[in-house]
Amino acid sequence: MDIEPFMLRAVLTALFLGPLCGFIGVFVTARRMSFFSDTVAHAALAGVALGFWLGLPDPTVPMILFSLVIAGLILWLKERTALLNDTIMALLLSGSVALGMVILSLLKGYRGELDRYLFGDILSVGWGDAALALVVLITVGSVLFWKLNALALLTAHSDLAHVSGVPVRWLNYGFVALLTVTVALSIRLLGIILVTSLVVIPPAAARNLARSLRQQILLSLFLGLIGASGGVILSYPLNLPSGPCITLTLAGLFVLSLLGSRLQRAHQNAS
Amino acid sequence: MDIAFRSQKPAAVEVQDLHVRLGGNPVLRGVNLRIEAGRMVALIGPNGSGKTTLLRCLLGLQKPDSGSVRLLQEGPPGPGILKRMGYVPQRLQLDPSFMLTVREFLAIRRPLTASWFWRPSRQIDALLHEAVGEMDVTRLLDRPVAGLSGGQLQRVLICSSLLNEPELLLLDEPTAGVDTPGEADFYELIAEVHRRRGLTVVLVSHDLSMVYRHASRVYALNGVICCEGAPEEVMNAESLRQAYGIHFTPYQHQHPHSHGSHGH
Repeated sequence: MDIEPFMLRAVLTALFLGPLCGFIGVFVTARRMSFFSDTVAHAALAGVALGFWLGLPDPTVPMILFSLVIAGLILWLKERTALLNDTIMALLLSGSVALGMVILSLLKGYRGELDRYLFGDILSVGWGDAALALVVLITVGSVLFWKLNALALLTAHSDLAHVSGVPVRWLNYGFVALLTVTVALSIRLLGIILVTSLVVIPPAAARNLARSLRQQILLSLFLGLIGASGGVILSYPLNLPSGPCITLTLAGLFVLSLLGSRLQRAHQNAS
Repeated sequence: MDIAFRSQKPAAVEVQDLHVRLGGNPVLRGVNLRIEAGRMVALIGPNGSGKTTLLRCLLGLQKPDSGSVRLLQEGPPGPGILKRMGYVPQRLQLDPSFMLTVREFLAIRRPLTASWFWRPSRQIDALLHEAVGEMDVTRLLDRPVAGLSGGQLQRVLICSSLLNEPELLLLDEPTAGVDTPGEADFYELIAEVHRRRGLTVVLVSHDLSMVYRHASRVYALNGVICCEGAPEEVMNAESLRQAYGIHFTPYQHQHPHSHGSHGH
């Protein structure tokens, strides 16, 4: 069977980013950072627009950089002002989208690109993107495993983590940077609007079935892998954008996990 | 007095003239405190008296505006000293979506079991055996930490803080989430740990009755240490009025104890 090169690139990218989003997502959901993930994803739109404005053929670099700037701004405003988290993020999310839209509307011929970045497009995944996804999988995945205990402790209680010798501030900044890069890179597959689903749904589904953090992480990795690659594969014959296909596959897996957890409980009650 | 001062045991905690302002308001206004090593003491005070701020200073989480903190006769709280200390917070910030089990929570706190992710549970249990047995949490090992009751969580938190064999144990409102019958058991357990291990225990609490029964010395805080001494001395109406009432002037002690460390 011949596999189209663009399909191979997209499936490989999904196989790299799916499990990574599933892994990092366990800590994103537990630390209630889903809206943060959504904000840095939307910030990427302004980065994409800036990339086109600068005449770059591939806006990946400005996309990641702009998301990192917004992530840094969220932390800075959190530390320096009395504004609530929600307010800060809503402010930066809407501001970034507005900036991106203004720049794109001033440029001619780029309006068509908007859908690709909003909903994901497997045709837009190049070999460079696949290679970058592999590098990010290896580096971010290694750091997450290396700092697993510190991250788990930080999630449980930040003061307790500090007393246990965890450099809380640096770990917070590092986690945010890793999350931002992972999310920004996944936009190619899922699009800005739906990218958070790959970070949130796998750990939520894993939680329904897992009985320990180890099981939750492993299941979330697996569900991220199945959801992302399955969605990409489905999008081709259905001629649909990859983002909604991945998200609906993940939603299906979540429903199955709910049923599985009901069955588990019924079995426990019976025995 | 000098003889009494010289014969004192070494101090586990020494705080001198500590001042902290938060949001422009003076919260600690010259706290002087000396806690002898090996004692089980209580730091009491009403809400807003600065208990949490003082505790945060002891843990190195809050930088004082002036004054000094010296722990375990070494220096201010830093990475080296914090390794010799245990801290038991009121509660965890755990979201129910995080499936961290008690076994995993204990394992991440101890270098020997730090590689818990790759190890079988049996091996971890063998390494945690001693502390888990001491705090009677064996049957909780498979439970998610987020689903524990207040009393169970406190046992687990103390168990985890004992894993690194601390010389100084700080407990923040330890019975805040514990039901009334559980409180007495809990303080018995802490007292037992204190007796067996001989470590210094500092209970930060507004729970006066239990503190009265179990602490060997009580420090009443309200911006400054209003009064300190044996529980029955500090708990008299006048000194409690000083700590919990509206008059914040330091109490002139009528009872016998050393004045060498807190300087009023």
